[in-house]
Amino acid sequence: MTMASLLPGFLKQLGYVLLQRNGDGTYSLLSEAPGWFTQLWPAAAGSGDNPFALAGTSPFLDNFLSDAEEFWKTPQAGFAESGTWIETGNSGEQIALEARALYLDGKPLLAICSPEKQFQERVQVLQTARNSLLEHEKLLREIQKKEILLHCIVHDLSQPLSAMRGSFDCLALETNPENAAKFIELGKHASEQQESMIREILNAFSAELQADLNAEQAGNSTPDLLEAAQIAISTLSPAFAAKGVRLGLGEQISKQMNWKVIGEETRLHRIFSNLLENALRYTPTGSGVTIGIEDDGAFLKAYVDDEGPGLPADLRPAEMFALFGRGKKSGGKAGLGLYFCRITVERWGGSIGCASLAEIGSRFWFRLPKAVLNGKPAPAKKAKPAMEKVSVTNREKQSALRILLADDQEDVRLLTTHQLERIGHEVLAVSDGKAALESAKGGRFDIIFLDEEMPHLSGVEVARSIRELQNHQEKRSALVALTGNNTPQDRERLLASGFDFVIGKPFRLETLDAFLLDPANAEPLDTLPEKRHLQESASWEDLLQRVGGDEKLLRKMMKTFLRETPQRMEIMSKALQRKNGGELSSVAHALKGSVSIFGAPHAVQHAQSLQDLGRISDFPEAARVYGFLQEEIAKLQQNLRGYAKETRAQSSPRSHEEKPKSIGTKKRKR
Amino acid sequence: MLGSFGVGKTSLVRRYVESIYDDVYHTTVGVKIDKRSLQVDGTDVTLVLWDLYGEDEFQKMRWSYLRGSSGYLLVADGTRRASLEKALALEQKVREEVGKIPFILVINKSDLIQEWELDPTLEAQFIAKEWSILRCSAKNGENVEEAFVQLTRKILA
Repeated sequence: MTMASLLPGFLKQLGYVLLQRNGDGTYSLLSEAPGWFTQLWPAAAGSGDNPFALAGTSPFLDNFLSDAEEFWKTPQAGFAESGTWIETGNSGEQIALEARALYLDGKPLLAICSPEKQFQERVQVLQTARNSLLEHEKLLREIQKKEILLHCIVHDLSQPLSAMRGSFDCLALETNPENAAKFIELGKHASEQQESMIREILNAFSAELQADLNAEQAGNSTPDLLEAAQIAISTLSPAFAAKGVRLGLGEQISKQMNWKVIGEETRLHRIFSNLLENALRYTPTGSGVTIGIEDDGAFLKAYVDDEGPGLPADLRPAEMFALFGRGKKSGGKAGLGLYFCRITVERWGGSIGCASLAEIGSRFWFRLPKAVLNGKPAPAKKAKPAMEKVSVTNREKQSALRILLADDQEDVRLLTTHQLERIGHEVLAVSDGKAALESAKGGRFDIIFLDEEMPHLSGVEVARSIRELQNHQEKRSALVALTGNNTPQDRERLLASGFDFVIGKPFRLETLDAFLLDPANAEPLDTLPEKRHLQESASWEDLLQRVGGDEKLLRKMMKTFLRETPQRMEIMSKALQRKNGGELSSVAHALKGSVSIFGAPHAVQHAQSLQDLGRISDFPEAARVYGFLQEEIAKLQQNLRGYAKETRAQSSPRSHEEKPKSIGTKKRKR
Repeated sequence: MLGSFGVGKTSLVRRYVESIYDDVYHTTVGVKIDKRSLQVDGTDVTLVLWDLYGEDEFQKMRWSYLRGSSGYLLVADGTRRASLEKALALEQKVREEVGKIPFILVINKSDLIQEWELDPTLEAQFIAKEWSILRCSAKNGENVEEAFVQLTRKILA
């Protein structure tokens, strides 16, 4: 047995076939033909020592043979590679192949192999890598959308703020009471506009959370914490690699343990993703982020440790998880992510927190109830406090109440104190949670109003401490949360934290009155006045005033508006059909400008919404708003045509008494 | 078939050749060749379809694969702006490597049109270049046949 006699069989075992390129362009078989070669090139495999042609047997091989011919022109070391290609076998199976052209012993050779195992491994690695890249791209798109949305929100909220500030500036200089009253009215109108926007934002946010909750109820309710951590690592690895930050799982985690918790899989992934994204933002290149999981009695605890600068010394952990908690400081995003983590974890009966680590970095952790506790599912929610226990009795309602008010916003504190004292109650107002707790220790208050987010101690922390203090006392103060996070989910969360009532901010003083008269039946979340200030009010005289009393100019503007608006609506409709967000936004912007000349705040509001929705390419919502805008525009056009017709018929301008009606419509309910 | 990874090149070929669609993303490694015969304006044609892997940092394109090609479908995913930008770059690279050959820009995933990221600036660039553009869906078959027929017509013209 010689090496030469072993070689053909050896090559076959490796999955290779070796062919010699003859001078006339044909090929001869030098090794034994493996099964795949016999299947794909049966004539060549059965040719024995006879030369055979390869050209025309495979389009890919034909293409590579051009490169091979070029390589074989001069005897040389090295080889020309084909790269991988796939041929289909007799039974439809995919056969991965690679070819190389080389010179050996002065002979031009062609080696073809089927690297099946390596190919499958490569496919698997690339599949994982590309899945991760796609997930990463998706995540970036979501982040970008969120940023645009937040930009729009800030932009829209700042508009009425300018009006309010202007009103206050003018008011400060005004000596004429009539003019002062106008400025007050203007300021109030702007504040209501802003309030309306805030509520719409909260409602939208609430709808998103509700959708998540529905998904949670419909799906599996005992996700695996370890699996979720592993998926998060796999998904975010490319982002970490791109920044040069190591990401891994702690070494001490037992794979044998049951890591199932109360919760929902998708949202649990989102919690891990949010915490990891947060860690990545603050972790320097070259350092690492680790996910750990540990047993914590009836709970399982997960944590994300980073090697970043740690938490700012002046920042309380609770502030990290507040809505819009971090702002854009230190490279952070808008702050919805950690807020989402908190409300989700709390809803599942868990808790969340963070702390600086001893040497370097910080730890963000959350714990969730184990899915199985003594053979039964662990309770996910806390019991709601009974309303009957609240100490606001009918007798107290009618007499002066002792009230503790804690709010870090000075204006809210002053106004609320003023109002409460005006109706005869005794009020102690403090500006932070710590002072509130100190004051509450005496237990002499009938009602304690606590702002949810305050320095030193949050409203929730104060409420919990007060409840602990009053556990053994006969008299319990009624605890009322004042919160800007007034979605139904927030309300539920606050009630579960020990509050008896929740009042949404900004609240009206009338709401406070109604609450004190009958807390059990008062509307917990403040509601908008539907009509008072949102009705259209541009009468003919108003319109004339807007154009300096120039009736001719007004008519001209009306004519232009009536001519151009249908065209603009048509362009917007087409932009919607073509999903052209840029065009939609641009035309909505132009329309908003022309509509605002004629008052019509609802049409203006819809046009503004379309402008924003176009920017973020939210076409389903834009189509809905477009419907509303169409209605408003139709009414506005009808009224303007009416004005044009009526005033044309008159020989002289009408007096105020003759034109009392206003144009436009009432705010529609959605 | 040229385009970024994950845009649906293999799905379009499978839909066209085998009338099959699979919702799960299977990455393509290497080159797969398929054939389909068709008649366009009275001429019998056999299309030899080279389904090339999507270029990324893991797999670099071998431009020699385009040698001898009569035309190509430049595929992008309407929901991923990056893939549309990649299409612009690929077309330029093809011109540099093999010269000007017929092609059609196929924007895939029209079934997800509400999630598309084709903004006016990018669309304006395609229009300015006078590219033939087709919105397709390998998932529901929209314009898939049309894309191959149109490309064949361009090749035969």
